Amino acid sequence: MTLHPLIEPYWINAILPELILACAGMLLILLDAFSPRMRGAFAPLAIVVFIATGYSEFLVHEGTFFGGTYQLSGITRLFDFAFLLAALLASMFAREYLMQQNIDGGEFYALLMWGTIGMMMMAKGLDLLIIILGLETLSVCIFVLVGFNRRLPVSNEASLKYFLMGAFATGFILYGTALFYGASGSTSLRGMTDYFATVDGASNPLLTVAFIMLMAGMGFKLALAPFHGWAPDVYQGAPTPVAAWLSVAPKIATIVALFRIFGAMYPVAQQLHWMQIVAVLSVLSMVLGNFVAIAQRDLKRMLAYSGIAHVGYMMIAVRVVREDAVAAILTYGLTYALMNIGAFGVISLIQKNQNDPQTLDDVAGLGWRRPFYGAALAVCMFSLAGLPPTAGFISKFYVFKVAIDAGAVKLAVIGILTSIVSTYYYLRVVYYLYMKEADELTPMTADGPFATGALIIAVIGILLIGIHPTPLFQSALDAAGALFHTH
Amino acid sequence: MTNLLSIVLWLPLIGATLLLFIPKESEVAAKAGALIFSIATFLLSLLILPGFELHTPGFQLVERHAWIPSWGVSYALGVDGISLWLVLLTTLLTPVVVLSQWNAVHKQVKGYMIAMLVLEFGMIGAFLAMDLLLFYVFFELMLIPMYLIIGVWGGANRIYAAIKFFIFTIAGSLLMLLAIIYLVFLNYHQTMVPTFFITDLYALTIPARTQAILFFAFALAFAIKVPLFPLHTWLPDAHVEAPTGGSIILAGVLLKLGTYGFLRFVLPFFPDSSARFAPLLGILATIGIVYGALVAWVQPDMKKLVAYSSVSHLGFCVLGIFAMTQSSIEGSVLQMVNHGLSTGALFLLVGVIYDRRHTRLMADFGGIARTMPLFTVFFVIAVLSSIGLPGLNGFIGEFLILSGSFKTMPVLTTISASGVILAALYLLWLVQRVFWGPITKEENRNISDIAWNEIAAVVPLVILMVWIGIHPGTFLDRMQPSVQQLLATVRNDRDPSKVFTTEFHLHHPGAALIRGQRPAAAPGVSR
Repeated sequence: MTLHPLIEPYWINAILPELILACAGMLLILLDAFSPRMRGAFAPLAIVVFIATGYSEFLVHEGTFFGGTYQLSGITRLFDFAFLLAALLASMFAREYLMQQNIDGGEFYALLMWGTIGMMMMAKGLDLLIIILGLETLSVCIFVLVGFNRRLPVSNEASLKYFLMGAFATGFILYGTALFYGASGSTSLRGMTDYFATVDGASNPLLTVAFIMLMAGMGFKLALAPFHGWAPDVYQGAPTPVAAWLSVAPKIATIVALFRIFGAMYPVAQQLHWMQIVAVLSVLSMVLGNFVAIAQRDLKRMLAYSGIAHVGYMMIAVRVVREDAVAAILTYGLTYALMNIGAFGVISLIQKNQNDPQTLDDVAGLGWRRPFYGAALAVCMFSLAGLPPTAGFISKFYVFKVAIDAGAVKLAVIGILTSIVSTYYYLRVVYYLYMKEADELTPMTADGPFATGALIIAVIGILLIGIHPTPLFQSALDAAGALFHTH
Repeated sequence: MTNLLSIVLWLPLIGATLLLFIPKESEVAAKAGALIFSIATFLLSLLILPGFELHTPGFQLVERHAWIPSWGVSYALGVDGISLWLVLLTTLLTPVVVLSQWNAVHKQVKGYMIAMLVLEFGMIGAFLAMDLLLFYVFFELMLIPMYLIIGVWGGANRIYAAIKFFIFTIAGSLLMLLAIIYLVFLNYHQTMVPTFFITDLYALTIPARTQAILFFAFALAFAIKVPLFPLHTWLPDAHVEAPTGGSIILAGVLLKLGTYGFLRFVLPFFPDSSARFAPLLGILATIGIVYGALVAWVQPDMKKLVAYSSVSHLGFCVLGIFAMTQSSIEGSVLQMVNHGLSTGALFLLVGVIYDRRHTRLMADFGGIARTMPLFTVFFVIAVLSSIGLPGLNGFIGEFLILSGSFKTMPVLTTISASGVILAALYLLWLVQRVFWGPITKEENRNISDIAWNEIAAVVPLVILMVWIGIHPGTFLDRMQPSVQQLLATVRNDRDPSKVFTTEFHLHHPGAALIRGQRPAAAPGVSR
């Protein structure tokens, strides 16, 4: 093992986005402590920071850094944009929500920023340790954010639940990594690529054990069935903008890391049929998520189960370790960020009392009384259901196309059949929006210009990707190959 | 104009977008806006006719731009003899709906008009699309406005009907989506060119087993849409609950997408399977014809009666398609237009008395010919057109279908012919019970006759019924080359050992009679 000097000439350039986010987060905490009167300006400030970070993505150099453990390329840039978009939308929805719940504070946005750093590390790490470090940075932020409404027991319960189960999951990932390290003598993906290219998988049964442990831990972070149990409770208890962010961004980051890891292990994964395990988890998620979602009347719980199903769809593409699968996941991830955060966003505007759940009855008649919010939620629902001309259709189509091109026809068939089931509960929301008469409209207490702006971004984004996806596809396909390069 | 089709396609959507900015309270402005845009679309669509070349079988006025190049998807529009009249039917029926519903929509008028225009956009797009994915996008796009039209403006049981309509249709079309991906994947494997362009895919040869699976995936989607027995159960619910405008569009155009899909995709993509399973589809169509007619006969509700008569009439179209002869397919295409006109008119007129009496039960009427003379005239013309009276459009379509189908499916055609007699029975009985005889109910003594806007809506339909009935050549001449080419594609693609041992008669004596002196034999099609 050669030791590289940790400080390389361009290191600042390599982690410029992360640095901006880290410093801005600390600044926000200091501002909160020393001039709490500025709290109203924190959300705009955070928005500026996220946009500036997005811009800084163009200033970084592509290449590998820190002794070959950190890779920057076109594809990591695109995924960074997805993480930043999710954080941006979540903080736009958070502003009025936090003020209305009286829990406004600089640390909220700081934690979102630091969580985003964690995700960026997961997407760029070329070493299992870096990936785990990113994962833990992210998880710590999520623990705090989920319990951010600290006076609310349900929020505390959600935080504790996520913390306990998350700790277990991390344990599994670490065990798995340790076993891989034991076999290959390296935690770096480069070392593992070399090892897996030559080894006979059947000679070492521990490899399969390690893989299963890794998948169990990652499955937890993804809310993949059967490791999904936490998701509905946590989403329900967490502040709604947090649930919006949590339901999207960490999943994309985890999937990118999985792509990298699977790419490194591919020869043995093929030999030992590990991808069959992934396929089974995918099918379980699609079936369970979609069928259980039908029974939900609480909107956040419904979206939790729909999220389980959507991870199942994304796993169809993950199962196919190919370049166009990466492009499909990027498209799906961006789309999912827009439509799911948009849907959670509308829900976050509706609040009767702090402890009351938001049910279907709360959106009854919304479509006619608040046409913009109603239409935005309807567009998100149609997109989640995968109907053209929304982005949801293009993304699902891409995933199924990749699956069929790679010969995974059965997975695509199951995906389509469960999609039919899913249209029922997404349409039910539209039914409540436009066809159900409500005696009185649940007040929308947390609406404001930022929430409206976020919804405009979400709706335009959904329609734009749905109608003109070519630029996104092209940049994704051009860059996708880099994800499987470990050198 | 080189991009005439695009203009016709996008104009309704532009109208819908502009309507968004009209304040909710000014209902007249919304209605007027919808009327102006739908009429403008209709007039522009008429410009397709002078540019349409009579003897060209393929797509005309083609526009093609890359849309998603990495998948080989293009924005490609074109019109041929099969889609021409269906496009015009769509652009005609939309202003008819807006006009006839002028005073019939009472809530969310603006929303209703926007939904109608978006629906028109979807329908025109589906008929014009020359790219499989583009077609699919439009095919599904229509579901959303139709779901809202049934669910928001419909009758008492509208939610159940709307969801049933949606789930049925999407179940079929999602399976077709999978088949589309697989079809394109197969083509990519053979040619190494990714393409969703329809005519490129026509050249594909598919192994028998795969072809059968893909055939059923496509056929299921279209059979649900038509609807073919036993997949028709959503239709009566949707029709009865839908508002009048929704019913007119549903029967007039949406159902045609099923039969159009068979002609445009199923037959040329899967010629072997189509021939293999033609008897099956023919049997289902025949069951639909007889069953639909018998069920229509016992309906006490006029709208339900017309809905079941649609099941019966669309059965004829499917029978004609799978009989696969020149005159049966021409008859099918013509019958699609006919059904749009006559059933559209019937739904419109049933809506007229429903608005006045708030009931559709035949038992609540009787003798209203005295109070509504003008209305009675229109209703009887629509009924006669629907039952196929010579001189009106229905006769031409049904005659061509039956005489053409008899060549290849004599038994089924014979049974199906009873549908024509049954149609006369149940429709004339309806007329008898509702219009003739003494006035039995006091409420019927002073119903106001048909209003100006309803007359303006129904008159164009009546004119076309007579036109097609007297001079079908206007319509048949333009579809003939395309149908001929379709049959040639179907036969050339077919495995020669399994060629359907039937003569593809171009000049069946009956067909020639109807076409008049036009030379019946056409070059390029020999036995």
